[in-house]
Amino acid sequence: MLVQNILNGISLGSVYALIAVGFALIFNVLKFSNFSQGGVMTVTAYAGYVASRYLSDRLDSLVLFAAVLAAAAVSGAVIAAAVERLAFRRLRRTKSEPVYYFISSITMGILLENLITIYASSNFYSYPRFFATSAVPLFGVNVAVTDMMMFALSIAALLALLFILHRTKIGLGIRAACFDVNTVQLMGMNPDFLVTTALMISGALGGVSGVFLGMNYTLYPQLGQMVVKGFVASVLGGLGSIHGAVIGAVLLGILEIFFISWVGAGWAPVFVFIVMLAFLLVRPRGIAGIIVQEKA
Amino acid sequence: MDYFVSTVIFTGIALIGVLGVYLITGLTGLFSLGQAAFMAIGGYVSAVLIRNYNVPVVPAVALAIVAAMLAALLVGLPTVRLRRDYISLVTLGFGEAIVALLNNSANITGGAMGISGIPQLTTLPVVLVSVVVCLALVILYKNSKYGRQCLALRSDELAAKSMGIDVYRLKLITFLFAGALTGYSGVLFGFYTTYLEPAAFNWIISAEWTIIVFVGGVNSLTGTVLATILLTWLPEFLRFASEWRVAIYCVIVLLIVNYRTAGIMGERELSPKTLRRLLGRTKEAPR
Repeated sequence: MLVQNILNGISLGSVYALIAVGFALIFNVLKFSNFSQGGVMTVTAYAGYVASRYLSDRLDSLVLFAAVLAAAAVSGAVIAAAVERLAFRRLRRTKSEPVYYFISSITMGILLENLITIYASSNFYSYPRFFATSAVPLFGVNVAVTDMMMFALSIAALLALLFILHRTKIGLGIRAACFDVNTVQLMGMNPDFLVTTALMISGALGGVSGVFLGMNYTLYPQLGQMVVKGFVASVLGGLGSIHGAVIGAVLLGILEIFFISWVGAGWAPVFVFIVMLAFLLVRPRGIAGIIVQEKA
Repeated sequence: MDYFVSTVIFTGIALIGVLGVYLITGLTGLFSLGQAAFMAIGGYVSAVLIRNYNVPVVPAVALAIVAAMLAALLVGLPTVRLRRDYISLVTLGFGEAIVALLNNSANITGGAMGISGIPQLTTLPVVLVSVVVCLALVILYKNSKYGRQCLALRSDELAAKSMGIDVYRLKLITFLFAGALTGYSGVLFGFYTTYLEPAAFNWIISAEWTIIVFVGGVNSLTGTVLATILLTWLPEFLRFASEWRVAIYCVIVLLIVNYRTAGIMGERELSPKTLRRLLGRTKEAPR
């Protein structure tokens, strides 16, 4: 039971990690919590579903699954780029404070969710089953294949992100933009391009997590509100820290699964809240321990 | 006419709740993503006291406000010392926890089914008087020592601290006041709809209230009031657009935030002084 819970928690946490890392990335570049990610996740979950309906005759199991994920990731990136153009570009031109980005992004999230509500008219859909076997034995417990897939693919996506950030020129640019967007411009890089790329990366990660959430639960327009899990994890992880966000997300996943098995799904949020509060009091700088200086 | 009256009542209730958010976000510069939870507390406490324990109305309402303030104390006390970002996180978690609590104490609150059969005590005069009183309180607070200290705290916490302002105490006082206002709006809400359910109080509601404050102009109380009235009525005006109306609403908000970032009113306030100037009774002072 213990092992089972830990494994389930890690797999849930790895999905949260995809959302949390997107938050951390954008927080680094633009210094605000990007809640439009929720709307992006809703849209991509539906995009993945549409793709699975079209492709299910032609492809099967693993290939189909990969195609659906790819479709969701691409649509996530495209929508995130559109969000940047519509909701953030002008604010950046006028050098507005981060709070306005925050407001703009929440509104954008609600807008995307509503567009999906209009499209899907609040109906519930569910993804087809991608795999013939539903569970395999591991460490003496049965692990769902989807859980394993979610874990493995989340890790792969996170590694890909680290590779882009630390081994490519674009990644170098994004990391430079995290320090100071204006200096980046002086160095001859295009800040619009860097910000858009960062948002597209976080959108693609959100797209993958959208499909996973849609598979885990059913598809409904409010699915994107799960974005708060990513927000919680990224703040607990230490604002803006990618590694901290991953650790925070996995811990959050494990905590949730444990509380669900001990006190039931209904009471779990109450206990998660208490643990969160206690944690912040003990370690107010978050897991990564970067002390972000308030302006002095 | 009934329809008109009910829209006015809902606008008044929303206005009192948004005033609470204005105190937190507009004056102090913090974000509460769980403000709707205080509304839930106010509504549920008063409803349960009256329905299950036959408590008279006035003490029930008073106790509901006290309960909302106690909850604000519970959340505020440990968090005012933390970084600003953590306050939005803790309030968010608190809001979700309250919704879970309401869902799971079915014997008292009716769980996810909600609580019904609350007496309908909220009438138009009650709402109008409440709005005037709450607005007056907020104006007094804004112009008091505390309000000015809040503004100093918002623009630069460190500087405010070094000027001898007890920022933690100030944040807590503002938080308690906001909790009381939002709690009271919950009382009015419950007594008008005669029905409460936990799902009506999730973080999206709190986020929408914060949006309203920004649309009006985060520096202007007048703007906040104006935006509440406009944005509560807008979906009614857009009724012809049926399912598209929330989307249109979002687009309008996005346009305002992006193209008039300071909000509808910017930093301007409607005060007796500006009113006189508008009406042209006094000459501009020579500069």
